[in-house]
This record gives sequence, C-alpha cells and structure tokens, in this order.
Amino acid sequence: MREESRRASVPEELQKAHAAGEDATNVAAKTTGVPAADVFGVDTFFNLLGESEKKLRVCTGLSCRLAGSEKILAQAQAAGLGATESSCLAACDRAPAVLKERRTLVEITAADIKRSGGDWKELDSKEVPQHLRWSGHVWPAESKPKTCAINLAGKPNWSGAASTLATEMGDEAVLAAIDEAGLQGRGGAGFPAAFKWRSVRGQAETKRYVVLNADEAEPGTFKDREVMMKRPDLVLEGLAIAARIVRATEIYMYIRGEFEIPQQVMADAIERTQSAGLYSELHFHIHSGHGAYICGEETALLESLEGKRGQPREKPPFPTEVGLWGKPTLIQNVETIACVPSILTRGGEWFKALGKTQPGSKLYCISGHVANPGVYEMPLGICLDDLVQAAGGYIGKLKAFSPGGASSGFLPASERKRPLDFKALAEIGSMLGSAGVVVLNESVDMAWAAQEQLLFFERESCGQCSPCRIGTAYQRHLLDGYISKRGQDGAKDSLSKLSMVSKEMIEGSICGLGQTASLPLTSAIQYFPGEFA
Amino acid sequence: MPFGDGETILDVTRRAGRQVPTLCHDDRLKPAGACRTCLVQIEGARRLAPACSTKAGDGMQVTTANERIDEHRQNLLALYLVDHHQGHDDCEDGAPCELHAMAAAYGAPTDWEPLPLARAERPNDDNPYIEFRADRCIACARCTRYCDEVEGVSAITMAKRGIETTVSTADALGLFDTTCELCGGCVAVCPTGAMAEKMPLVAKAPPERKLHKVRTTCNYCGVGCQMDINVDGYGNNGKGQVAKITSPPPGTLPSDGNLCVKGRFAYDFIDHPDRLKVPLVRNAQGELKEATWEEALAAAAKGLRAVEAEHGKDALAFVSSSRCTVEENYLVQKLARVAFGTNNVHQCAAT
Repeated sequence: MREESRRASVPEELQKAHAAGEDATNVAAKTTGVPAADVFGVDTFFNLLGESEKKLRVCTGLSCRLAGSEKILAQAQAAGLGATESSCLAACDRAPAVLKERRTLVEITAADIKRSGGDWKELDSKEVPQHLRWSGHVWPAESKPKTCAINLAGKPNWSGAASTLATEMGDEAVLAAIDEAGLQGRGGAGFPAAFKWRSVRGQAETKRYVVLNADEAEPGTFKDREVMMKRPDLVLEGLAIAARIVRATEIYMYIRGEFEIPQQVMADAIERTQSAGLYSELHFHIHSGHGAYICGEETALLESLEGKRGQPREKPPFPTEVGLWGKPTLIQNVETIACVPSILTRGGEWFKALGKTQPGSKLYCISGHVANPGVYEMPLGICLDDLVQAAGGYIGKLKAFSPGGASSGFLPASERKRPLDFKALAEIGSMLGSAGVVVLNESVDMAWAAQEQLLFFERESCGQCSPCRIGTAYQRHLLDGYISKRGQDGAKDSLSKLSMVSKEMIEGSICGLGQTASLPLTSAIQYFPGEFA
Repeated sequence: MPFGDGETILDVTRRAGRQVPTLCHDDRLKPAGACRTCLVQIEGARRLAPACSTKAGDGMQVTTANERIDEHRQNLLALYLVDHHQGHDDCEDGAPCELHAMAAAYGAPTDWEPLPLARAERPNDDNPYIEFRADRCIACARCTRYCDEVEGVSAITMAKRGIETTVSTADALGLFDTTCELCGGCVAVCPTGAMAEKMPLVAKAPPERKLHKVRTTCNYCGVGCQMDINVDGYGNNGKGQVAKITSPPPGTLPSDGNLCVKGRFAYDFIDHPDRLKVPLVRNAQGELKEATWEEALAAAAKGLRAVEAEHGKDALAFVSSSRCTVEENYLVQKLARVAFGTNNVHQCAAT
C-alpha cells in the first residue's frame, strides 16, 4: 500500500481497534506504519474515536434543546446509561435525538429511557425504532419535478439519463448549462459551481479528485441527510457528471460518522449503479467522518480524508489547485451536486427561473418552534413567513430566528419578510449558509440561546489557530460571567471585552468557524439589547 | 524589494529590516501560519495574510504595521495571555517567554481575566530531562513539528482539540516509553518555556535571562555542534556554575541549532563530586589512592602485560571514546597494534 493510503486509513483502523477493545493507538500505528504519536493525535481529535467508550450522546443542538434534550440527558444519566453530550446530530426535525454508538435515534422520550432498564444497548425510540431507515418530513410531499430541482418526494431514477445526456452534450455545453443555471454552492459559502469546475479542469496537473462534502454538521441543518436518503441517484449522477468534466476517476464521499444510515443508503446506491454498469469508469469511495464539525470546512475535510487531524489549511492555495494529496480537487456539497442532473435535463434557464431572488430551488431545513419541521424545497429567496406558512405555522409568537445554522447568528422577527438568500442575508451581516432555519418564539431567552451556540463552537474549534481556540472559550467565559450576575448592577461589565474578542476572531481566525463563531452572541446583543442589560 | 523564488513575505520583510512578530515560526520548519501574530496587510486583499506562509509576489504591496494590524496584534496577544501563565517575571523562572516579551512590545492589554487551564499535563512522565508545563503552552506546535520535520522522531503530537489542545505523546506515555531520543529540541524551540528542562542544576539556577552564555563546540563527538554554555556567575559558591546548555539560533553552522541528548543534558559532570580529576590506583588493600600519571600508566601497563602473558595478545581489546580527536584515535590503534600486537581495537561511535 502506498504511504498516503496507509495514512488515510488511520481513522478507520482506530475505529476498528476501538470496536475490538484493542490497544487502539498501537494497533493502528502498527497496521498503518504511521508514528504512534501521530495516530494518538488523530484519535484524540475525533470524538467518536478518542471517546469511543461513550456509547450514548444526547444532541445539544438548539432544536433538540428546545425539545427538552437537556432533560433527556439528565434522565439518561440518572438511569445509569453513561450518556454524554453531542454537538448537533442533524436530526433537528425529529428532536430530541440521541446517538447510540454511530446510529442516530430520534424522538427519544423519557419512556424510552425508562424502558432501556439502564442498559445503553437497549435504548431505542418507540416511535421510530432504530432498525428503520428513518428519514424526515419533506415538502412538497408529492413529486413536483417541474418546480423542484431535487424533488425529494420523487422516485429515484437509476437510468443515468442525465449522465448520458452530459456525454452527448459535450463538456463545454455542460459547463455552459451550469453557468446559465447560476448554481451556487449550497454547503454554506454560495460559491459559483461552474467556476470551480472550470478551475479544476484547467489545471496542468492531470491527476484530479472529486470530493463530496456530506459532513453535514451545521446546527439546524439536515437537508443533505434527506438528499442521500431519498435521492441517492441524483448524488451519484451529479458526481459522475462532475468527475467527467474535471477529468477525475476517483470520487471520495466524506459522510459524517453520525450518518450511519445515509452511509448505508449511499453504499447500496453505489453497488446498484455499478452492478448495472453505470459510471463503471469511476471509483466511488465512502469515507466516514468521526465526530468533528470542522471537517465540513473543505480543507479540514481534506486533511481528515488524508488521515490527519482535521485542521483547516491556509487558503490560497484553494483545493481546486492544491487539494487532496496536493492534487486539484473539486469539492461540492451534496445538495449542490444533486442539482446537476435536472439542470442538464431541463436546462440552465429552467433552473435559474426556479428561484425567487437568486437562481434555483433551495432546500430549506426548518426546525424549532414551527408546526411541521422538515426539509422544504422552495424558490431561493422566499422569506421566513412563506417558509413557516408551508411548515404549518409558528408555534407561539415569533421572537427570533437563525436563518442559516449557528454560524449565521440570530435575526429579530422584524426580518421575517427578508429574502432568505445569499445576498439579502449577507447585507445585514448574516448569511444563508446551509439554510438551517431555526425558529425561536417568545419563550426563549436570547442569552441562553446564544450560550448554547457558543458552547457548540467552543466544543468544535479545532484548536489550531489561537483567535478561535482561545476566543471561542473566552467569549463563552464572558457570557457565563454575565449570566451569573444577571440582574445585578454592573452585570454588563462582564461583556466589556466581547467586542475586542469577536473582532479578533473575525480578523485573525484561519477558517470560517472562528470567523463566525461570535455572531450568535453579537447578533443577539445587537437585536435584543434589553436581554443583555 | 527584490525577492527570490519561493521567498515568503516574512523572508522579504526581515531582509528589509521590518519587524514582523512570530510565535509558531522557526526557519527549520515548514510555515504553519497558525499563531496569527505575523498577519500583514496585502494591498487589495480583504483579509490579513500570514507573512510566514504567504509567498512574495510581483508588485505585491505589503504593510507590516498600521492601525488595523496593531489592533489585531493587541487583541490577539491579550487572548494569548488569558490562556497562559500570569505575570511576565514569574513566567520566566526558566527560559525567556517570547509571548510576554511580545505582549509588552506591542502594548497588549494584560488585565483581561484569565481562563482556567484546560490543557492536560503529563504528570507521570518520570524521565529526568524534559517536562511539559501546560500552563505555559500556547499550542504553537513548534515542538511537535520540530520532532517530526527536523528530528524525524515523531515522539510528540498535538492532541485533543479546541481550548484543550495540548502537546502529548502516544497515549500520554512518559518520554522513556516513546520514540523520543531526548535530544531536547522541543525545549530549544519552545517560545514560552512550556517544554522545559528539569535537570537539578536548572532547578537551582536563576532564570535563563540572568545567565551568561558562552558559545562553544560540543566535544562529545566529532560533528562539532555549536552550543551555548549558560553560566551562573554566582553559583558554586561564587566560583561560577554551568547551569544549562542551550542551542544557538537556527542557521548556526554546522549543526543548525540542533543538539543530541549528550550535548544538551550531559553537563552535570563538570562540578560533580564524583568527577575524576587526578589518576587513582588501587593499593594492596584494594583501595583507590591518588597517584602520579607515571605511577598510573605503569600500573595499567603492568596489568595489560599480565593479561597478555597469561592469555595471549588477542585477549586484549582497546576501545576509545568518541570524545577523542582523530589524532588520539590514531594513537589508540597504534598502541593496540604496535605495543600489544592485537587488532582488537574499536571506537564507541563506530556502528
């Protein structure tokens, strides 16, 4: 085995060794030839490896918290289940969620915990038993191929028609269609997809890779989970088309470790297409994540794929030039790649016209205080009120919302008519991000909500650069200080250093995690000053 | 400023005599861009860029200090200080602390309330040379990268993540149970004294900044590594005491600031009571007694000849030390072959 593939297998070897109850560091070091210290560095970076003795993790995402996950955790601990906390499990629509080893159990209740009899192996949801390949509520509930680029309710199409069409069209025509469609990356950054494809295609280096970013872990976001569960056909076809355009044959699918079921669905889909002779010139590899939000950042993802600690790289150079193992690499989010087949079959113009303020239909994840949480495919640029109307209305009176995951901060109810798109949200210092919309009603204390988000960023900071490593911990320390003195004279003084801390996190952090991690608190203070008096 | 192929902004600014602070940088290591102290402004770029890892480009206009950069440095250094041993002088009980010096030089606020320590230590590491003081660590990874990239030993690693990010070994074992060769390079590259020497003489000595450095050549072997002997002028009852050995800066020939376990840590013999300073010969009762060189050499010759007479020439073997010069080694083999007629001759550095 080449040295790089041996190193890339470090996390997997650790996972196996932990599962077998072996001396994981040394076993994995011996199998891979990687120095034991480096193996240990990887082991302790990823929660699901280094803390593999913890079998149950209760989700601490905001929507799960609103659904009472704190109580569930306390009950589970009281029942002797040895439960601990987890960052968002991407099951906000079916809160509260619990991770059992690597399987996400949803809608866990106090009765479920009681039924387990104190044995973690016995914990299961009565509503959604874990042997089910559960998924979530989607909208529109019936197939709408004319208005939905992804069409989650549609039946998978295993014909490979779009891929065949792409070959007939020729590379330039495919790129022109993607360009015309105005497809922007749907993982968070909104970067024009065609630009990336052309960039990788134009590199002098002939070895290239395509990487699927399915490390969906932004709190409030669960759309990629649904795409993989319901339309794995589109994911593989989009990847196959992209690989052909950028002249790659190796495709790596990085799927978060908590997505045991979506991983199985994708593995089945690969098996199905390959045995039918589809995409036979391509090699699809599934790489499981191991519990680190930061690996959704594309360069951290590459480091992790290479078997290292998931620490983001300095950009430039961008992955399109220097990516996986130093080779040009196209990295796309699941939703983005799943838009590709219908753009080719129906045309770029058609896709563009699906949007309201910006091109395309968009998968909005909605959870929190709404009647029907789920994934809603709607025109890009609809506003919160439109979205919530489709989702059955608000529960209680709208107070605030997070438009695109924890990283987008909070917005007040007065922004309910603002288009939920890349541009309009950026204008007010927020972002569409991954379109993980969390709705908060009047019952929510904004200092509490901010504290939950800050804890998330602190827990998930990779620790490489100091503005984020220390800043995420320090801003939470300041907020804790404020909350403990709330109502007393001078409580606000606890937050006097906050503006300097957040400024430095934005200015100095290497990647987007540190650059956005103070937004939940600074936006909460900006829009709800009365709660930070 | 003209620049060469592959030169970074840091290389060019240094040549131009401009001050750009660095904490995670070392000329022997690949740039990490992680400490963020060296961020500079490039005309036309939205974000500040690390000088250490950004290549110089044609027509690039770089600003190394302005209001924006000053503010960034002050806030960044203030953050570093809340996660670090408090108080400049107190922190420097051993090696100088680059962080505290930098914070003072750039006017960073020092009154921010500190965070509780989140980095794990390795308290059960009983090796006698190197200790890790977690409260001093700034997680710059100079030590771990040095261990990987320069020594090729990979005994230490960055472990955990976030505020708990720390320096560890495989399974947090003591250094004796790892691949560590105890070269002490981690101690030499550490900017804040987190990787520290725990030899008894160091513990007794004043802080390094109060010691007098004398550059010399290590005489443990023939490589000729340069080293700085750190002398405590008041130690040893005022006679002066060698308190520790430190590395000269990277780039110092021929060893580039690198040392091995002997050069760095084997210095306590100098004033050790057991040190042999005069020849000793056993008397009839078997007790060691001070003798002249003539008496000692005669006793040795007599003993060797006695072995030869009883067991033959090849019952003798001669091993010389790597501390000997080439000329001395030549003489040892001459002694073996000519005076005693045996080819049994070796030198400890031969493999």
